[in-house]
Amino acid sequence: MSCTHDHDCEDHNCAADWSLYKHINLDQVTALNESVAGSIKSVFKAWDRRLDNSEGFLESNEGDPELLVFIPFTSDVKIKSISVVGGAEGTSPSKMRAFINRDGIDFSDAQNMQPVQEWELTENLQGILEYQTRYPRFQSVGSLTLHFPENFGANATQIYYIGLRGEATQLKRDAVTNVVYELYPNPSEHKSSDVGRFSHVE
Amino acid sequence: MVLEATMICIDNSEWMRNGDYAPTRFQAQADAINLVCGCKTQSNPENTVGLLTMGAKGVRVLVTPTSDLGKILACMHGLEIGGELNLVSGIQVAQLALKHRQNKNQQQRIIVFVGSPIKHEKKLLEAIGKTLKKNSVALDVVDFGESDDGKSEKLGALVAAVNKNGNSHIVNIPPGPAALSDALLSTPIFTGDGDGGSGFAAAAAAAAAGGLSGFEFGVDPNLDPELALALRVSMEEERARQEAAAKKAAEDAAKQEKANGEDLENGVMMVEPVNTSMMVEPVNTSTPSKDDRRHDLTDDETALLQQALAMSMDDARPDSEAVADTNMVDATADQDLAFALQMSVQENTNDTPDQSEMSKVLEDQSFVSSILNSLPGVDPNDPSVKDLLASLQNQTEQKKTEDKSEKEGEK
Repeated sequence: MSCTHDHDCEDHNCAADWSLYKHINLDQVTALNESVAGSIKSVFKAWDRRLDNSEGFLESNEGDPELLVFIPFTSDVKIKSISVVGGAEGTSPSKMRAFINRDGIDFSDAQNMQPVQEWELTENLQGILEYQTRYPRFQSVGSLTLHFPENFGANATQIYYIGLRGEATQLKRDAVTNVVYELYPNPSEHKSSDVGRFSHVE
Repeated sequence: MVLEATMICIDNSEWMRNGDYAPTRFQAQADAINLVCGCKTQSNPENTVGLLTMGAKGVRVLVTPTSDLGKILACMHGLEIGGELNLVSGIQVAQLALKHRQNKNQQQRIIVFVGSPIKHEKKLLEAIGKTLKKNSVALDVVDFGESDDGKSEKLGALVAAVNKNGNSHIVNIPPGPAALSDALLSTPIFTGDGDGGSGFAAAAAAAAAGGLSGFEFGVDPNLDPELALALRVSMEEERARQEAAAKKAAEDAAKQEKANGEDLENGVMMVEPVNTSMMVEPVNTSTPSKDDRRHDLTDDETALLQQALAMSMDDARPDSEAVADTNMVDATADQDLAFALQMSVQENTNDTPDQSEMSKVLEDQSFVSSILNSLPGVDPNDPSVKDLLASLQNQTEQKKTEDKSEKEGEK
């Protein structure tokens, strides 16, 4: 389920395709088991900076290669494919499992739940590999959670870049946030004629 | 002001019956927990705190994380002591309770009170610690009570495994005369990770150290700011009144030769407290219309002017209750307070000596203008001020309504 670019990336404007990072709500991005708090934010950047590690990268804690990344978006997006650039010497993740529109997942949840899709990753140091999604399942994504359970044998997992390709809609899939419940109807708020009413409330 | 959900794990095993902390270990622990709950809920109104017990028949969650302090404190009643401490189960259940918190934006924290010996192995505790760190849960441990020779080391290893950038702490309280809660006040458990909570801790420490009278007037400004403010203002006002009385006695002797005259400017002043605004309002003596003139005064000028104006007010306005219609532009929450102050000032100044001296005082234009010049808010070149001085000088009976009807306040 991976494909490489069959064109010269300099000609084709890959940067425009991989622009979903602009719709990520970076303040709310979190990662579990990261060794440096907040380093997850450095992983989402433009395509042409995918190999640039000057601002840090995401690394898991020593001795524990699992990583869990929670990515909320500012509007619902459709995700076509995902690209992950890992580190060398076995620090790249070897598996990726994705969950959609669930927040507050921790490791025990991630291990027990069935993901929306999972991929076997290969080492992708140049960032030319992308992993396609089952597109119908990724149609209105408000938040994406990526679980990387294993790597290629190193003590810790390193991720330098996570790229998302797709489209952004302008909609926001939000739960109803402002609700007032009434126990009894307030007749003054209801406009209706007297005809057809069985009871008349003064 | 970190947004946090906290689970507090209470040790209610048999070792808590011991009395080496007054009155019993359990009671000292309960006091400390009450303080912690208060501190957490006060530092951020959206913080939630939950409780569970680890001893007795097993781990039991008393209350899931809630921001209702009353509910939390109520759960502390009627707890039984007995059984053995289940530290690992307690921490795991606490982690589970935090996982299901309602607000996922809150940071997770567990505070564990450990007073009995620990039967778990160090390796197991370290593994638990790693799990906590992996799920970004912070841990604070209060080590008190029993101190056998593995306990501190095990707990230290546990906290070290959880610790990430100093978010987890371990505190060791040996038995002693100081209460457990007092000893905890200075620790990072209360003061937070450097920010927040310190206000509460400082206030609580002051209260503990100096008794309730540690605060001025015996009222904590944190607990009751309005009452503290009212007390302070009335103290200042009383002081000003006494100053005014003293000064007036001195002035009476000096100003005997002033002629009788009509006074045109009456005012009601407020002693200015530090935070609230106050205004001086000269009110027309004859007409009920208000002259909205507001000045800021210091205490000295206040005393002088207050004495001067109050006497004239008493002279020309027997029905002084109309003065009560003051305009408070900036009195936001303290309108009632300012009004009450004004009324009290009025009453104080109603029993003033005879009018003649006061009128004489006002007659002296140089005196009045010197007063007005010293008022920070008054510009002597202002036409309205000049008019007033002119009218004062003329000693006319009629009141110039055109002066008094100006509505704009001067600051």
